[in-house]
Amino acid sequence: MMWKTLLLAVLAIGHCQAVLDTDANTLVLLDNLAIRETHSIFFKSLQDRGFKLTYKLADDSSLLLSKYGEYLYKNVIIFAPSVEEFGGDVSVERLAQFVDDGGNVLVAGSEKSGDALREFASECGFELDEENAAVIDHLHYDVSDAGEHTTILTSAKNLIQADTIVGKANRLADAAPLLYRGTGLIADKENPLVLKLLTAESTAYSYNPEASVSDYPHAVGRGTLLIAALQARNNARVVFSGSLLFFSDESFTTAVQYAQSGVFHKLAGNRDVAESISKWVFGETGRLRVASVQHHKEGELLPPDQAYTITDPVVYTIGIEELVQGEWRAFKASDIQLEFVRIDPFVRTYLKQTNSGAYQAKFKIPDVYGVYQFKVDYDRVGYTHLYSTTQVSVRPLEHTQYERFIPSAFPYYTSAFSMMIGVFVFSFVFLHFKDEPVGRAANQDKKSQ
Amino acid sequence: MNRTPKMLNSKVAGYSSLITFAILLIAWLAGFSSRLFAVIRFESIIHEFDPWFNYRATAYMVQNGWYNFLNWFDERAWYPLGRIVGGTVYPGLMITSGGIHWLLHVLNIPVHIRDICVFLAPIFSGLTSISTYLLTKELWSAGAGLFAASFIAIVPGYISRSVAGSYDNEGIAIFALQFTYFLWVRSVKTGSVFWSAAAALSYFYMVSAWGGYVFIINLIPLHVFVLLIMGRYSPRLLTSYSTFYILGLLFSMQIPFVGFQPIRTSEHMAALGVFVLLMAVATLRHLQSVLSRNEFRKLFIVGGLLVGVGVFVAVVVLTMLGVVAPWSGRFYSLWDTGYAKIHIPIIASVSEHQPTTWFSFFFDLHILVCAFPVGVWYCIKQINDERVFVVLYAISAVYFAGVMVRLMLTLTPVVCMLAGVAFSGLLDVFLQEDSSKRMGTAVSSATEVDEAEDSIEKKTLYDKAGKLKHRTKHDAQQDTGISSNLKSIVILAVLMLLMMFAVHCTWVTSNAYSSPSIVLAFHNSQDGSRNILDDFREAYYWLSQNTADDARVMSWWDYGYQIAGMANRTTLVDNNTWNNSHIALVGKAMSSTEEKSYEIMTSLDVDYVLVIFGGVIGYSGDDINKFLWMVRIAEGEHPKDIKESDYFTDRGEFRVDAEGAPALLNCLMYKLSYYRFGELKLDYRGPSGYDRTRNAVIGNKDFDLTYLEEAYTTEHWLVRIYRVKKPHEFNRPSLKTKERTIPPANFISRKNSKRRKGYIRNRPVVVKGKRTLK
Repeated sequence: MMWKTLLLAVLAIGHCQAVLDTDANTLVLLDNLAIRETHSIFFKSLQDRGFKLTYKLADDSSLLLSKYGEYLYKNVIIFAPSVEEFGGDVSVERLAQFVDDGGNVLVAGSEKSGDALREFASECGFELDEENAAVIDHLHYDVSDAGEHTTILTSAKNLIQADTIVGKANRLADAAPLLYRGTGLIADKENPLVLKLLTAESTAYSYNPEASVSDYPHAVGRGTLLIAALQARNNARVVFSGSLLFFSDESFTTAVQYAQSGVFHKLAGNRDVAESISKWVFGETGRLRVASVQHHKEGELLPPDQAYTITDPVVYTIGIEELVQGEWRAFKASDIQLEFVRIDPFVRTYLKQTNSGAYQAKFKIPDVYGVYQFKVDYDRVGYTHLYSTTQVSVRPLEHTQYERFIPSAFPYYTSAFSMMIGVFVFSFVFLHFKDEPVGRAANQDKKSQ
Repeated sequence: MNRTPKMLNSKVAGYSSLITFAILLIAWLAGFSSRLFAVIRFESIIHEFDPWFNYRATAYMVQNGWYNFLNWFDERAWYPLGRIVGGTVYPGLMITSGGIHWLLHVLNIPVHIRDICVFLAPIFSGLTSISTYLLTKELWSAGAGLFAASFIAIVPGYISRSVAGSYDNEGIAIFALQFTYFLWVRSVKTGSVFWSAAAALSYFYMVSAWGGYVFIINLIPLHVFVLLIMGRYSPRLLTSYSTFYILGLLFSMQIPFVGFQPIRTSEHMAALGVFVLLMAVATLRHLQSVLSRNEFRKLFIVGGLLVGVGVFVAVVVLTMLGVVAPWSGRFYSLWDTGYAKIHIPIIASVSEHQPTTWFSFFFDLHILVCAFPVGVWYCIKQINDERVFVVLYAISAVYFAGVMVRLMLTLTPVVCMLAGVAFSGLLDVFLQEDSSKRMGTAVSSATEVDEAEDSIEKKTLYDKAGKLKHRTKHDAQQDTGISSNLKSIVILAVLMLLMMFAVHCTWVTSNAYSSPSIVLAFHNSQDGSRNILDDFREAYYWLSQNTADDARVMSWWDYGYQIAGMANRTTLVDNNTWNNSHIALVGKAMSSTEEKSYEIMTSLDVDYVLVIFGGVIGYSGDDINKFLWMVRIAEGEHPKDIKESDYFTDRGEFRVDAEGAPALLNCLMYKLSYYRFGELKLDYRGPSGYDRTRNAVIGNKDFDLTYLEEAYTTEHWLVRIYRVKKPHEFNRPSLKTKERTIPPANFISRKNSKRRKGYIRNRPVVVKGKRTLK
């Protein structure tokens, strides 16, 4: 307890923390410890942002993801392309379970990826291309290429259109191209959760550079995925790169030049993009959460005890926060919608941001009773899937809430009252009317008969 | 001279009223106690399905008061539509037991509302027999009335709906029905506004208690109409019917569930038509007193016909304009027994809406069904205004009982009455001489029949014609003379029959109608012990204890009320089958494949699915046996997705074994019923997965559930509950092995419990003493 508070204090005094304390523990699995040195810039930037990295060899027999049912790490980096089988407690199934339990994983493969990575990739909905297959681009390769045209350059405009994932500046037209050497990825077309973070140029394909092309390549042109991501339904994130080189110091620092066109850039774009992607995959950016949900009748402050009544005017307020620089701040967007659903949405409206930063919608409850849900379903690429439902009942009018006198019923009121008056007058007359003597005589006549 | 007969008279009257009282009391007690089998055998518990809702509603009313009950919007039923309970229920039952509860508590007798609910129907059976006595007395004689009262107290046809625990509308509605008819006959007899207003009040109670009030509001106009046709119009009739109709109409419209139906639906139009007709006839009668006889006759016939045609045309036009709603489906199915099967499967799916078999007539009524035509014949022979009524009652009730098993209930009282008339008539003949001698106690009931009749004959006010005939007949019979031997043989035979009737009634009650159906009992054939299967309550209790308070449970509608009543969880459909399309949606979910039904279930926010499965114990009322109805109902609304023929084999059989239709073997209901059943061996010799209900080895044994997981299965597998997985549990759609473009390598793990090291290919190895090649 003591050391924890101390640590917290130290951290608070220390440099600005970009990552939440709870998300900091990271396991780094490596092919060999040399990778730690060849990728030191990347790891350094993570550490600077507050991540606590634990380096392990991928086949280490003491690997442990969780202890006593609790995960020791929030994030896993696998920079071990050729691992065939993880050591210790870690296995593909455990990793998949880790993702299902909310953990984030960053994986980098290479032309010679091992089975473990392939299995894990298919668990996430994409595949690594065949062994020895590399992405080849005969038009867009770097001058440093050894002749197989596998050290390719792909321009920044091939990055996914999502600022939170790849950063806004990195996609600009004049941004430096990205250096890549590795295998291609193939995404499952049916899988709606896979994001294509970076694709190759249209002239690229993925094949074994040493063999002549006899079959149609598995990945061709834009379909060749270089970096793919999966944001699972529980918002766990997995990024899969076909190239370990992409994150290396070499690509972070080298100058690139298109061998064909000769366009030169002082620095490849890899560093910024890699940093941005690592921020996204480890949940530093693009994270939303629902802070509060309130709903009440207009003019009141609290929701009704039992149920709303049909046609009530209702106010729905939802506070949405985004994680910015390790702090939860009010999220700004103009396209958040609210649905009022009973099987089908009866009301669908945009939420408007109020001065306090919360989003609000005012509408009239439809004239249909039932059990409804206020539903906010905000799913944008690069952000966590924001989903909030609040169930409320809408009841019909109570027997006292109907109008007592309605204009269309006035004929009936008139007839009822005129009838009553008529009966009264009639009985009054009947009781107090004295018969003429003639009538009486007639009566007596009848009696005698 | 003058005083002695008077004293004798009063003495006789005293005895007869004492005997009447005693017999009615005994009938009440006998009726009450023979309905207690279920309570004694099992416990004081609400039975079956509908009673559970009635009980829940009553408990709600007692807890929250009448106005809250009236405005009760039940968000736990028909999710997500909800149900306005106050406006869709006949509140008479709840008010009655709530009233009793209130009264007892005012008197500081703390009784739990459940006990009142359980014992309400047996108590009301006593009231029914009293009102049957009164009605039969009005129609025939006090003796016949006593017979009828005793019959109805124990007749199985009525007990079937009124055993202790069967807390349903019918339990009090039959009393209201009989009492309304009694008051109506009384008012026709006397022509007094008082009695007809009382009839209207009683009718109001009936309307508040049961949808069967439509029977009254059609039978009474029919009576009036037939009387008019028979030329039996009288000012008494005019007074009683016009009072009854107007008051009854206004009263019935006070029930929220009935609302404007009495002036807008076709079922009620006959009453209006007869009312108009009666007014026309009365006008004509009045004209008759003004005009000459010949003129009048023409006017009467022409006018009557014109009015009749006019009313008919008006009704037709209004129906076509939509002002008057056409007859509802349930009503059509009364006339055309095949109608429901074709158009409204949901009505046909209920077993109590099936046509009655001959067997069940005898089963429910025994000897009465034989004596009943005799009673009708007696009534027709000695017809008068009120006997016309009972004849019409008999004819229509017989028809309806033939159409639907359920309406056996309306037939039973009239059968009891007319059988009472028949037996009383029989004993009148064969006990005539002995009446003066006073027989022993064994035939006391028969004796007092005559006495009571004597006394009533003296009291009879106007009904002289019928009685006079009656008497002459007796005289004639006395003249011919019947030998005393023959008499005693006949009487003994009759008594024998009646005794057998009583035995049969008790037997039927104890064996057929006293099962609560939520607790099952069976006798072990080996040691004769009685086993109790309490799986239903086990499952419902599990639901109430282990699921979230707002968990939504999908099941077939039969179990909706029970889930709401016992587990207090939200249901999608229940026994109040008001929304066919919602039920069809559930039926579709049950009869689609798991994948498709998962879509439906997520759109309906289903958390749990509950199915009833009888394959382990051989319980025949389970969901697989009901399954075709789910398919049919679903097909009615979604003909493109569900086809009944898909669930039959090529030879048109419905079978669950390996030859069954693939659609059936892969539908959700099949999977939920038989999940892991293939692993179960019921006995050592038989094959595994042997379904005892359908006597077959199931066809699809090895399957896994993707979208659901088993949550609970009761001891005898009778109730199985599954949890529907939430979308986030399918976190990431992974690529299946066969879907991959690149075939996976068959990697064999080298790890074992001791060697925990993984494997990295091409691991750089440090080789000492060598230089790297450049």
